[in-house]
Amino acid sequence: MVLGAIILIPFIYGIYISFQDINLASFLPPQFVGFQNYSTVLAASETWSTFRITMAITVFGLIIQLPLGILLALALHENLKGTKIFRSILITPMLLMPVAVGLTYRFMFDTDLGVINWALGLVDIDRVNWLGSQTSALLAIIIVDSWQSVPFVMLLALAALTAVSPSLYEAAKVDGAASRQIFWRITLPLITPTLLVITMIKIMDFLKLFDTLFILTRGGPGNATTTLGLWTYKTGFIFLELSQAAALGVIVALITMPVYFLWRKASKGVR
Amino acid sequence: MKLNRLSSYLLLTFASLLALFPLFWTVSTSIKNRVDTYTLPPKFFSFTPTLKNYISLFELEQFWQIALNSIVITLGSTAICLVVGSLAAYAFARKPRFKGRGSLEGLMIAVRALPGIVVILPIFKLSSYLGMYDSKVALVLIYAGFNLPFAIWLLMSFFEQIPVEIEESARVDGASNVRMFSQIILPLAAPGLVATGIFVSLLSWNEFLIPVIMAGENAKTFPVLVASFISNRTLDWGPMAAAATVALLPIVLLTVVIQRWLVAGLSSGAVKE
Repeated sequence: MVLGAIILIPFIYGIYISFQDINLASFLPPQFVGFQNYSTVLAASETWSTFRITMAITVFGLIIQLPLGILLALALHENLKGTKIFRSILITPMLLMPVAVGLTYRFMFDTDLGVINWALGLVDIDRVNWLGSQTSALLAIIIVDSWQSVPFVMLLALAALTAVSPSLYEAAKVDGAASRQIFWRITLPLITPTLLVITMIKIMDFLKLFDTLFILTRGGPGNATTTLGLWTYKTGFIFLELSQAAALGVIVALITMPVYFLWRKASKGVR
Repeated sequence: MKLNRLSSYLLLTFASLLALFPLFWTVSTSIKNRVDTYTLPPKFFSFTPTLKNYISLFELEQFWQIALNSIVITLGSTAICLVVGSLAAYAFARKPRFKGRGSLEGLMIAVRALPGIVVILPIFKLSSYLGMYDSKVALVLIYAGFNLPFAIWLLMSFFEQIPVEIEESARVDGASNVRMFSQIILPLAAPGLVATGIFVSLLSWNEFLIPVIMAGENAKTFPVLVASFISNRTLDWGPMAAAATVALLPIVLLTVVIQRWLVAGLSSGAVKE
């Protein structure tokens, strides 16, 4: 309970700050300013552009990570020899320190001497200045996040696959269903509740995305890869507008809320 | 869908290579000298290994203090999570219905859902009043607060596996509550405690957002040091890779040791069990 308070009290205090006019660079006593921070923040174009960037990362991240995770789960579910070893190797990335992972990719993505551009060169693809433009930098961020997140999708999808009763497959086979049909008509509908849970968790994680982003691009070039969460950080600790940042924080929490309720609802469907 | 054997193997092998390559590349870059690092085509195996990068890393003035900070903070917050977490998880597991259970659970999961920045920003503001800025004790408490829900969640599933009958027979034999918990329940849940401890310490070891905001020179942790290799204009890959290796390798070795509990732990909390 005491430790729960470590989270809860600051959160409430954060809401309180968001109605004041605290700037870390000024020594004036804080004034109560009502919803002024909210109107300032909501009128700022950065709030909306960073929101769009967050959405783009989320949508494209999900499009890449869900199918890959499911595909790997299916392959593991075959229970071939060596499955356990493959599984251990594949889950390793999700345990690693995101900051160090970001660092690793930072030099792998290097334009001139990076190993990724070298590999692309082998198949005659021109050098990409990965972190230099918005599209490629977003792609790089999604790639790094996927490296750490696909294993998570895979694990949960595998748990769902394991829970499907084998007799269903047998019955379908007896009825002469092709394996493709079995996947779309039986497996997929049965693991859909789990996929919903994964989707909700991943959306929340994308809203939280910070470490790798901070290392890879710092939200740059310019603000081209700044997400709403990173923008909150910048507002508070680079522009020192603490109250505005707190207002942004409250907005981020409000965005998280419906996802959180959907998650709780979806997870009740999974047993 | 039945993927056929061959394509499954190909897929898994390819994915495993992708999973391992960045690790291999980091380690190998960390033991190359400058000439071998900045060269094309990249040198995968044909280079003379050197420990130069590690030596320059270890000779950094703050390196040992920062490493020690990280270890102390990780151990401290893990200990709190295990003590408080096991008591709370036991209550959750054995008393399926009590008043406020639903909202307590909801709160616990909300901590997992909420972006850390939302909470850490007010904590930062509060810290100046309470003298918490740049304090290791404060970091221990904040880490514990963030990780406790996860610990409770994970421990709960382990406690639920212990049959109630064991407790009943202990009670018949006249064991007190405290005695039963400490001498019967905890030993039975030992594997769960170990697994939870390892997971919570991983989370603490990897944590970046909290220390980057809450730690100055005194309480700086390892991820903050690792991140600082980026901020200077000249990116020197060798020491960078050495720092990354020191951050990553212990975890990789650990995952080999704790294989048994990994899967249960990683997917816990995501769905209700």
